[in-house]
Order: sequence, then structure tokens, then C-alpha cells
Amino acid sequence: MSDPRTPAAPAEDPEPAAEPNTAAEAGASAEPSAQAPAAAEPALAPALAGGSHAQDAGPAPFPFAGLGRSLDRGVSRGLAMVTGSALGPYQAAVIRIGFSLTWLLFLLREWPHRSELYGPDSPWTVALAKRLVAGNHAFTAVLWNDSRGWFELVYAVAVVSSALLMVGWRTRTSSVLFMLGVLSLQNRSVFMGDGGDNVIHLMAIYLVFTRCGQVWSLDRRRAAKAEAEEAATGAGGSAGSDPVGIALWVVMGAALVAATVAGKLATEWKVGLWAGLLVQAVWWAVRRYAPGEPRTVLNTMADIIHNGAMLVVVVEVCLIYSTAGWYKIQGSRWEDGTALYYPLHLDDFTPWPSLSHALAGNALMVMLITYGTVMVQVAFPFTLFNRKVKNVLLVAMMLEHASIAIVLGLPFFSLAMIAADAVFLPTGFLRWLGEQVARPLRRPAPPALAAVPGPRPADTGAGQAAAGQSATEAVT
Amino acid sequence: MQSEQGPSPQAATLSLPARIAVAVTVGVVAVGALLHLGMVFLHVAPSNTLSKEHASAVSDYVYPEFEQNWKLFAPDPLQQNVHVQARAEVRKPDGSTETTGWVDLTAMDVADMRHNPLPSHSQQNELRRAWGYYSDNHSDQNQTTPISANDLSGTYLNTILAKRLGTRLNGGTVVRVQGRAATTTVARPSWSGESVDTTTQYRELPWWTVPTAPAGQENAS
Repeated sequence: MSDPRTPAAPAEDPEPAAEPNTAAEAGASAEPSAQAPAAAEPALAPALAGGSHAQDAGPAPFPFAGLGRSLDRGVSRGLAMVTGSALGPYQAAVIRIGFSLTWLLFLLREWPHRSELYGPDSPWTVALAKRLVAGNHAFTAVLWNDSRGWFELVYAVAVVSSALLMVGWRTRTSSVLFMLGVLSLQNRSVFMGDGGDNVIHLMAIYLVFTRCGQVWSLDRRRAAKAEAEEAATGAGGSAGSDPVGIALWVVMGAALVAATVAGKLATEWKVGLWAGLLVQAVWWAVRRYAPGEPRTVLNTMADIIHNGAMLVVVVEVCLIYSTAGWYKIQGSRWEDGTALYYPLHLDDFTPWPSLSHALAGNALMVMLITYGTVMVQVAFPFTLFNRKVKNVLLVAMMLEHASIAIVLGLPFFSLAMIAADAVFLPTGFLRWLGEQVARPLRRPAPPALAAVPGPRPADTGAGQAAAGQSATEAVT
Repeated sequence: MQSEQGPSPQAATLSLPARIAVAVTVGVVAVGALLHLGMVFLHVAPSNTLSKEHASAVSDYVYPEFEQNWKLFAPDPLQQNVHVQARAEVRKPDGSTETTGWVDLTAMDVADMRHNPLPSHSQQNELRRAWGYYSDNHSDQNQTTPISANDLSGTYLNTILAKRLGTRLNGGTVVRVQGRAATTTVARPSWSGESVDTTTQYRELPWWTVPTAPAGQENAS
């Protein structure tokens, strides 16, 4: 029922079923939406799976007797889940906010150094950067023009898009701009980054495919308002014309035309970005003029893509911890329990030398943290099968990253890792956290506004799956 | 699961083409996600049977945008402090040349980062990673062959040195710069009973002539 495992669990399901079970799958995908309560799904699954199995037949029960059927049931339940809704709306929102906030704070912190890092004053000169990019074909809009003004524009777009993604304004478009901003700056000067930049780079790409603005976003608020109006006027079905959305689409389209005409885009980027622009137009048209089945199908497709992207995010975080942990096991310093001592004596990672040296001087503490780090990193992916253990380890990892931020002087790396960890936080905790943050903000609002989030607790009681279906539709 | 009120169309009534569209999406997304994760796995895993066999497919897929390295402080944390130092050959107004003393650029970065809760990448990563890039691409010996213009890592490191030293030093114009790495092994923990040589080792780079139009300035339009 909950968060982290929901994206993870269907992992195995869609694969074997995708091809062979096409018919049953389409059925399964259709059903649960019809039978409103989530509880109805398991009941209906066996019916789908066909009840003609002769079980309970022999005297010595074959231990795998029910395997075929429960496999069928699992597959159809999984399919119902991945096609039924965009899973983990709060988890998607928290990583959206986490990564965009991290990158925004980083860009603001580096404001005085921006030109040295990514601009015309960088020792990684335009000539060097162009040579490297010509070889690896990385995307970077910064190198499209050598003028300082162009660089400043790209940096400004990166800052603004981070802020917009954080507040969830036109989330899908903002997420694309955010990704392009991250890639442009990082790929302009690859040798300026560290692990934190690497995480943000990957997640910026993955976020584009998620519906990360379903909750905690301006989009959600706009959609709720539109819904309320719709209910009040009794006008059903088709969406409004959305002039702001059209204007934004036209601006994006114009930019894309310009980039294409100027020949700045590699083929895969041209295809991807044009397809995205086209999909947004189709999305708008369908919502406005074909509110029936086409809208349902598009909505379901967006949910499926979201669920795939969330799976990728979750597994990516597991890969990060696994590789970090498994490579450490092979190191003699991690084995003899002194590894932590060394970074605490490296000049680049000791902004508070007396603190670092005091910590490094405690032999037992060094050993415990050294062993604890490896154990947690290696164990974490496996604890996803147990909610309680997972949550304990999650707290441990977040605390460790918070300490790294201060002790090793890696605040942005740590913030990015905490944002990545947050994808595993339980829905209940995230909703509670959201309310704690929102309450003081909401107080001055008029009663009409305060009522907007009202329906949500009821929806989500049945499982987070139900999160604002119609609200998310507005968010392309 | 559509708990929304209102005229939402029910998925149960989906037509066959719509069901096919949904089914195809599930298939494509499932295959795409698993392919992506498989590629990333082979990229981050140690070199193995599969990743060796499909090395070019994996690297074609992963580079440049999905490249990643999570060997953070692994298999062993760095146990040496590497300080990049630089000196210059300057031409005085009277035409004579003079070689300056060594300037510890890393120590200047470290001083800037001290007691700073938000160190900049320009202090924490720039020199450190430039040195890493250089040493990954050059053999361990002190090199005497000059750094060619095609040598990205050598050009990069020396450009940093030249920029940090500036165009004028000790009353003369900087003509050439030279870098060196001063490596000091971190003393073993007192309780470990091990001892290591902690004297600083130096590795000198060849002299590098500073381009007449320092890189970057031509772009100041």
C-alpha cells in the first residue's frame, strides 16, 4: 500500500506480462478504475485469471500448487496498479522540490563564481569545452554562443526554472527547462562537479517523465480551483482554453524552432524535444475537445510513464548505495575500521579542522561510523522489503548525510542525497510534513482557499493511488 | 481508483484500440525502464562477463548523459593531501627574466574554505579535479616533454595555474608557468600501530608558455 515499495514492486510485473498477456492486461487495467474501491481489486483478479485450476487435489500438497494462480493474480494486480494511477504522488513531489531546491541554492551560492565555473572566465575554456563536447556529444546550450550575454541568459533560465519547478508552476514544462539548465551548465564544465552534481544530473532527466506536480504545487492549486468552478457552474467535461498554457507553449515552440533552424540540436534531442512539444499540444486539444475516452487513454499513458520513471528513480538510488557500499567492502581501510579517519584529515574536506580532528581522534567512534556506513549502504536496498527496517535505515542515512554536509563541507552533495533518500519516505509521514509546512502559510488565506485541500485526506485514505486524478490531468 | 466526482469517463468502457494503446504503453515503458536500468547497472558494476561482452553498447548508451560514479571514498578513501603549486617565469621591464617562488594554490583554496559552511565548487573541486584529470592522463614520472595544445588535461591545469597567478607577478609579465603537485601522505591513526613516510613528495610538470591572449578574454564581448 505504501510508497517506496509501490513503485518497486511492480518492477517484475510488467515485464513478463507485457507481451503475452496483452488482452488480459488491457482488461485488468480497465477494471479497477471502474470498481472504485481499491479493495475490490484483489477480489476481481482471480476471476480474470480463470478459476479452472484443479487445486487441493492430491493428498500431499504440492508446495507450489497456488503458484500459477497467485502469479496471475500478482501480475494483474500489478498491472492494475501501474495503469490505475500515478503512484507515489508525494514521493514524486518531495524529490521534485528537493532536487530543484538543491540546484537553486547551489546556483545562487555560486552566483559570484558563475563565470569562473561555467562561463567565459572559466579555465575550462570555451575552446577546451567545445573539443570535449565535440567528442562526447553532451548537451550544453551554453556553448551555442560565445558571448557573455548568452551565458548569463542560460544561467538565469537555470535559476528561474529551478524556482518554477520547486513551486510546481507548469510542472512539466518547468521540469524540461530545469533539465536543460542542469545539463547545459554541468556539461559545459564537467570537471567542476562532484557526486552531488551527478545525482542532480540524472534526476533532472528522470523527473521530466514523472507527474511530479500532482501535489504540493501551483498546478495542483490551479486544477483544484478549476474543479471547484466546474462543480459550481455544472459545466462538465472539457477543460478551459488555458491562455497561459498556450502562451507558454508558443514561447517554447519558438525557442525550439530557433534552436532547430540554427542547427544546434543533436538528432536525439531534436526528436525528444519536438515530440514533447507535440504531445503537449495533443494533450491540450484532447482535454478541451475530447474529454471522453481519448482523455482517459492519455491520462493512463502519462500515469504509466510516471510509474516507469519512479521505478527508475528508486532503483537508481539503490544502485548508488549498492555501488558505494560494495566497492567499500573491498577496501582495506573500510575493513580495518579506520576509513573515516582519512577524509577527516584531507584539506579539501575539513572546513572545521578542530571538529574533524576531534572526531578522527576517537578510535571507537571512527570504527563504528566506518562499519555502520558500509553496513547501511550495502543493506539498504534489501530493507525495502521491510517497511520498519527501511525507515530506520532511512533516518540513519539522512542523519549521516546531514553530518557530511557540515563536517566534510559538502552541503549541496548532502542535500541532493537527502532529496534522493526522500523518495523512500512513507506517504503518511510526507503528508504530515506537508501539513506542518503548509499550516502557517495557509492561515491568512480566505476560507475558500483553505477548503481546497479538503477532499484530499478522504481520497488518499484509500491509498495514495487516488491522489487527485483530475488535478493531475491539468498537469501535462 | 478514480475517486474524483464529476463526469470522469470510466476506463472500463475503453474500446479495443484504447486498450491496445494502453497495453503498448505498458510494454514500451517496461522494456525502456528495464533496458535503462540494465545499462546503468552494467556501467556501475565492476567489469564482468556481460559488461565486457557489451562494452561498446553500454558506453554508447550511458555516455554522456547517464554517466555516473558512486565509488565515493571507495574502495579506499584518499590518504594523501595533494597540493597543487605553481611558479612563473616573468619578464622584467629591463628585458631580464626571473623565476618566482612556488605558490601553494591549494592552500589558498583551503584557507578560503576554512570555517565556510558553503564552500564553492571553484575552491573545492576546480584544482582538485583538474589535477585528477591530469594525473589520470599522464604517467607518474616528472615530464619534460612540453604539453601540446591537443592535451586537454594539461592545457586545462596550466590554464588554471596561469589564471590564478595572474598576468603580472614580482614586477614583471608572466611568460611561462610551471606546476607541481606536493603530495603528503596522511599520518596513520595513532592507535593503528602503522607508520608511513609523511614527507612531502613533489612531481613537477613541464613549463607551459602562457598564450598571449589569455583564454576567456576574447569572449568578453
